[in-house]
Amino acid sequence: MSIMEYNGGSVVAMVGKDCVAIASDLRLGNQALGISSNFQKIFPVTDRIYLGLPGLATDVTTLRERFRFRVNMYTIKEEREIEPETFAHLVSSTLYEHRFGPYFVEPVMAGLSKTPSGGVKPFIAATDLIGCLNFAKDFVVAGTASSKLFGVAEGLWEPDLEPEDLFETISQTLLNAVDRDAFSGWGCIVHVITKDKVVTRTLKGRMD
Amino acid sequence: MANADGGAYSYSLTVFSPSGKLVQIEHALAAVSQGTTSLGIKASNGIVIATEKKTSSILIDDSMLDKVAVVCPNIGIVYSGMGPDFRVLIAKARKSAQAYWKIYGEYPPTRVLTQEIATVMQQATQSGGVRPYGVSLLVAGWDINRGPTLYQVDPSGSFWAWKASAIGKNMVNAKTFLEKRYNDDISLEDAIHTALLTLKEGFEGQMTEKTIEIGVITVPTVTELEEGKIGGETGRPKPTFRKLSEEEVRDYLAL
Amino acid sequence: MNSFAERFSTTSATSQLRKAQALAAEEDDISDAMWGSEAGFGSLAKGVPTFSIPAVADPTAFLRLHTDDHADPNCRIKIQHGTTTLAFRFQGGVIVAVDSRATAGSYVASGTVKKVIEINPYLLGTMAGGAADCQYWETYLGIHCRLHELRNRERISVSAASKYLSNLVYGYKGMGLSMGTMICGWDKTGPAVFYVDSDGTRLKGDLFSVGSGSTFAYGVLDQGYRWDLTDEEAQELGRRSIYAAGHRDAFSGNSCNLYHVKEDGWKFIGNYDIAKMHYDGPGDVPGAPGGGYGYDIRVEGLTSANPPPVTAAA
Repeated sequence: MSIMEYNGGSVVAMVGKDCVAIASDLRLGNQALGISSNFQKIFPVTDRIYLGLPGLATDVTTLRERFRFRVNMYTIKEEREIEPETFAHLVSSTLYEHRFGPYFVEPVMAGLSKTPSGGVKPFIAATDLIGCLNFAKDFVVAGTASSKLFGVAEGLWEPDLEPEDLFETISQTLLNAVDRDAFSGWGCIVHVITKDKVVTRTLKGRMD
Repeated sequence: MANADGGAYSYSLTVFSPSGKLVQIEHALAAVSQGTTSLGIKASNGIVIATEKKTSSILIDDSMLDKVAVVCPNIGIVYSGMGPDFRVLIAKARKSAQAYWKIYGEYPPTRVLTQEIATVMQQATQSGGVRPYGVSLLVAGWDINRGPTLYQVDPSGSFWAWKASAIGKNMVNAKTFLEKRYNDDISLEDAIHTALLTLKEGFEGQMTEKTIEIGVITVPTVTELEEGKIGGETGRPKPTFRKLSEEEVRDYLAL
Repeated sequence: MNSFAERFSTTSATSQLRKAQALAAEEDDISDAMWGSEAGFGSLAKGVPTFSIPAVADPTAFLRLHTDDHADPNCRIKIQHGTTTLAFRFQGGVIVAVDSRATAGSYVASGTVKKVIEINPYLLGTMAGGAADCQYWETYLGIHCRLHELRNRERISVSAASKYLSNLVYGYKGMGLSMGTMICGWDKTGPAVFYVDSDGTRLKGDLFSVGSGSTFAYGVLDQGYRWDLTDEEAQELGRRSIYAAGHRDAFSGNSCNLYHVKEDGWKFIGNYDIAKMHYDGPGDVPGAPGGGYGYDIRVEGLTSANPPPVTAAA
């Protein structure tokens, strides 16, 4: 059995037109047994960056605190908010510090980065459990339903979706993918990040 | 009693004198003020740092001497004081910049790097068995957050940001000269000329491309930045700090 | 396993198979047309079906090498494992309820599996473990139940049918058959439920649940079970138990198939979506209390963590 399947859970992130979306399921399991249908795996890092941590629940909690610490220290020391690209590198290097005894998580990041001309640029990235960065231009997936998410996302995603359409796309992708995964599901949460606000919605999913 | 200036307090680095001074640090500052003059000027579109390069013998191959050092593509440093101490500090600064790059995938902002160096210098004022670094530094850098910035770091580990500053033998005169010449919207070209004029004040001997060194920060334009992002996929952003070649220095001196 | 001893043994399952195969091979005069007339079960003339066996020294070990996903999670052939099935006897007959999920590893391969096998109008078998094993042997059991009827001019008892199956699978013990089933029906003795598995276990009882979700089903079942349940109450209990298992167990879910066996044979009551039962309940069916089975739905408005639903803002 894969260690990812110990608690289960999945995350997906997608790029839209001047917006990004990140979504996860809400299941916390103990192998086949469902424990909680309100286990958050996505955390805000700044106003414009969200981090999804599917994987071993104990490591999810620990890493969430670790990143909170590191980002707070960065913010104080540099007197500025961390940019998504920089944060992705921070995630990567933090995970690689534990190359020979890794945290069992597959982080997914979504955010908007500032451009030199004052605009915003959508940013998504994912890493494996030891921090190999994957900067994608369309979507990234992780967790026990990753293979299923790839399939559905490949079929539904298209470039330059407006925030409302991106919400629909990512929601349908996640909802349908987790229905084909035994270890993910039990409700979903979606965050859509745009220049001036973040819209968070919980979805009604199959509860089996 | 050790000597007249500091008495018993002058040798032990970590002990304050009754008047509240750490005498060794004052000695280190004295060492700096015996060093050759260096200066830095912040312009509206860049920064210039410059120094006098003095050799004790005409037999020394001065093309090897480096007083202006590149730390990382966006930061350069010049010093006054003890050459060997500077070399060690530069090695540490470069290592620190690379360590930062390893974590964040980009080079440190000027302030962060300056703080790192200042911390190293401060630790030498508080640790046993060491002496303070006998140098003052002028750190010039550019970063996306604060733009071009110029810092001065002293042996005590304290640092400030400056619009223009001078350190070393002629610093008092040089500063007075800079105060007269400086204005907020000076261009980089004008700043380079002002730097040369300032150095010329109290320059011993002939001022040539062999006897001075110049480093400049050029502020990238927005378009350059956006293109730089594309070029950034190679992992090497376009440098914003560079040392002027002997030819370039000769051209500036000729004007 | 001592394959040398196995090869020369005259009593082991493998050698029995070998003998049956040799017998079948000799009967070349049996035309291929026979296959159609015997429903794909091959020549039953010798009383046992025959199987082709891999041409290796130890076929059992070979099979295990390629199917046992406990020993080797990467093996290519995955046998369906997760399930919830239940059956119980009560005053009004037998209730049989099952889920409909089929998983291969973490992949939900199907959500519309029929896990109740209709052996004949009076007998039902449930399916847990290897889907193919259950389907094949329970259908095969049906053939023999019919042959019994023809020979004895009366229906086979549930006890006899289940024993026939249990003896049959026992003959293949150790060869990788995987089934946990309940044979349910109504005979001269009244409603009857027997548990039979591929280890050879056969148990008579009032109430059974089999599969990865059985513990969850038992929880609801034990709590609500009485002999004098009405038909409606009993059906609701079956549905509610499968819902509980479908909800909690990752390998069970999608929908519930409900059957009720009475004196005049079994009747299919209905198919109920687990998600629909969670949010809205099973629908307008007798015995259902109305409203969803889901915890959040039942406690809505009753705890601080579950405030009343927001009414349209003024």
